[in-house]
Amino acid sequence: MLDVIFILAAVGFFGVAWAYVLGCDWLLEGRQP
Amino acid sequence: MTAAAWGQLALFSALVLLTTKPLGVYMARVFEGEHRPFPRILGPFERFLFRLSGVDPSVEQTWVRYAASVLAFSLFSLLVTYVILRLQGFLVFNPQKLAAVDPALAFNTSASFTTNTNWQAYGGESTMSYLSQMAGLAWHNFISAAAGIGIAIALARGLTRRRAPDAPRTLGNFWADLIRATVYVLLPLSLLFALLLVSQGVIQNLSAYREVTTLEGGKQVIALGPVASQEAIKELGTNGGGFFNANSAHPFENPSPFTNLVELWLIFAIPAGLTYTYGRMARDTRQGWAILAAMAVLFLGGTLVAHWAESRPNQALASLALDHGAGNMEGKEVRFGTAASALFATVTTDASCGAVNSMHDSFNPLGGLVPLVNIQLGEVIFGGVGAGLYGMLIFVILSVFIAGLMVGRTPEYLGKKVESREMKLAMLYVLIFPLIILGLTAWASVTQWGTSSLNNAGPHGLSEMIYAFTSGTGNNGSAFAGLNANTTWWNTLLAVAMLGGRFLMIIPALGIAGSMVGKKVVPAGPGTFPTNGPLFTFLLVSVVLIVGALTFFPALSLGPIVEHFAGLAGKVY
Repeated sequence: MLDVIFILAAVGFFGVAWAYVLGCDWLLEGRQP
Repeated sequence: MTAAAWGQLALFSALVLLTTKPLGVYMARVFEGEHRPFPRILGPFERFLFRLSGVDPSVEQTWVRYAASVLAFSLFSLLVTYVILRLQGFLVFNPQKLAAVDPALAFNTSASFTTNTNWQAYGGESTMSYLSQMAGLAWHNFISAAAGIGIAIALARGLTRRRAPDAPRTLGNFWADLIRATVYVLLPLSLLFALLLVSQGVIQNLSAYREVTTLEGGKQVIALGPVASQEAIKELGTNGGGFFNANSAHPFENPSPFTNLVELWLIFAIPAGLTYTYGRMARDTRQGWAILAAMAVLFLGGTLVAHWAESRPNQALASLALDHGAGNMEGKEVRFGTAASALFATVTTDASCGAVNSMHDSFNPLGGLVPLVNIQLGEVIFGGVGAGLYGMLIFVILSVFIAGLMVGRTPEYLGKKVESREMKLAMLYVLIFPLIILGLTAWASVTQWGTSSLNNAGPHGLSEMIYAFTSGTGNNGSAFAGLNANTTWWNTLLAVAMLGGRFLMIIPALGIAGSMVGKKVVPAGPGTFPTNGPLFTFLLVSVVLIVGALTFFPALSLGPIVEHFAGLAGKVY
């Protein structure tokens, strides 16, 4: 059970990091909310 | 400082300086040259790996694709290590029949080695099989270091490339950079220095541990293993994870003052060389020397403070009628003494390495402050392989921006204008670091899971917690000790700190590279602020110190600084 949680946590972190990449790209493109 | 201490510092500094240019030229040829070094020996290996992995090195990537490749590769390698650690009890090369690593510890260790941190909440000889050490951990020592070098080169390309406005805004190919850093830089140097270390007494075998009878007639188990092959890359890749729990204080890892000097040089060699590589890429080597000078100033300052602090008696013993001539010897190897210990502690925390030859927890408060501050300045004083250069380049951009504000001109660097969009990402880079460290330390200091792991009360206990999260987030990996970090809470949160401190800082750095690479280059004019001279070095050092002080001084004042003054008043922790 803990194995599943930690593997999902790792995948989840890299998912957040990918969203962060897209967010930074959005900032660089100069788009406004 | 004694004459021997000065001599050691001078010899070490001279070695680093002497090898900066040749290593820098070599790495410039590897990453940017048309003809790579040793084409008959290393060329076929490189091409084999390209074919095996299906990589076409001529296909360049935008910053988003470069970042995606870094993330995908890191996630894959983290999961591979996690599986190896969890299954080591069923796998080969396990003569001690060590059981599977606990899930939280396996997660922490996988994150630790993926991020080039090498924080170790375990004793290597009592936890890890030889397969885990070699395939799970030493493998990461190469690839995490290679990834760091690749990212630094990508940022350097972004800042230094001159392209037509309609040209693709690409930064190179992550997979090609990863393979070239491994094949041309890390593997050959590691092999060479592993053999040198073997010749000096560092062990290398796959034997079971040996039980011996001591001179007093007792029994002692001597741990063995493939140490030399991991020792060289441990320092060269600024990884720092020791084969043994005692790390470079163990005689099988670091047998003599000569190997100590070699290991110190290995830690600084690539970060120093990369500054020259950067200068070559910028077509002005003085750009690289200016950055190296800033790193050297900060290094020398920290070293002198650490030497001074550790040459003084241990605060707990100062009032006793003892000979204090050797300085504070608590937690130090007699073979190395205070001078080599203080120098090693400074170098390993400047460079994001984390290997230790003494216990930082036993330093006098101001001696322990130096490693802590070194990491908190952002691991830019030489820094990790690659990480030091890309971290310092962010501070360069920050310095250029501040200089531009002071004279009322649009800031520019290497002829490219630095605009608000790059500054937003630079601020993300600068702010994410203290946010993780201070946020998690604050949480730990008011919770049962945080404080129950401490072995010391008062400001020293706070220092132990600050150090743990600083070391994790800074991807340093050295431990202050005095803290039982092998609990589910600490393992999990330190893993999050390590992952955040690596990838949430790499991403804005690559974003800045992607933004700068396509910018038009304007020729330098009379109003251009020169970034290749002593004035800029002074500004860069000042910015690094001011940002670090503004961020961390309040926390430090509650930890090592108040502990120092309490010690002067006779109260120790």
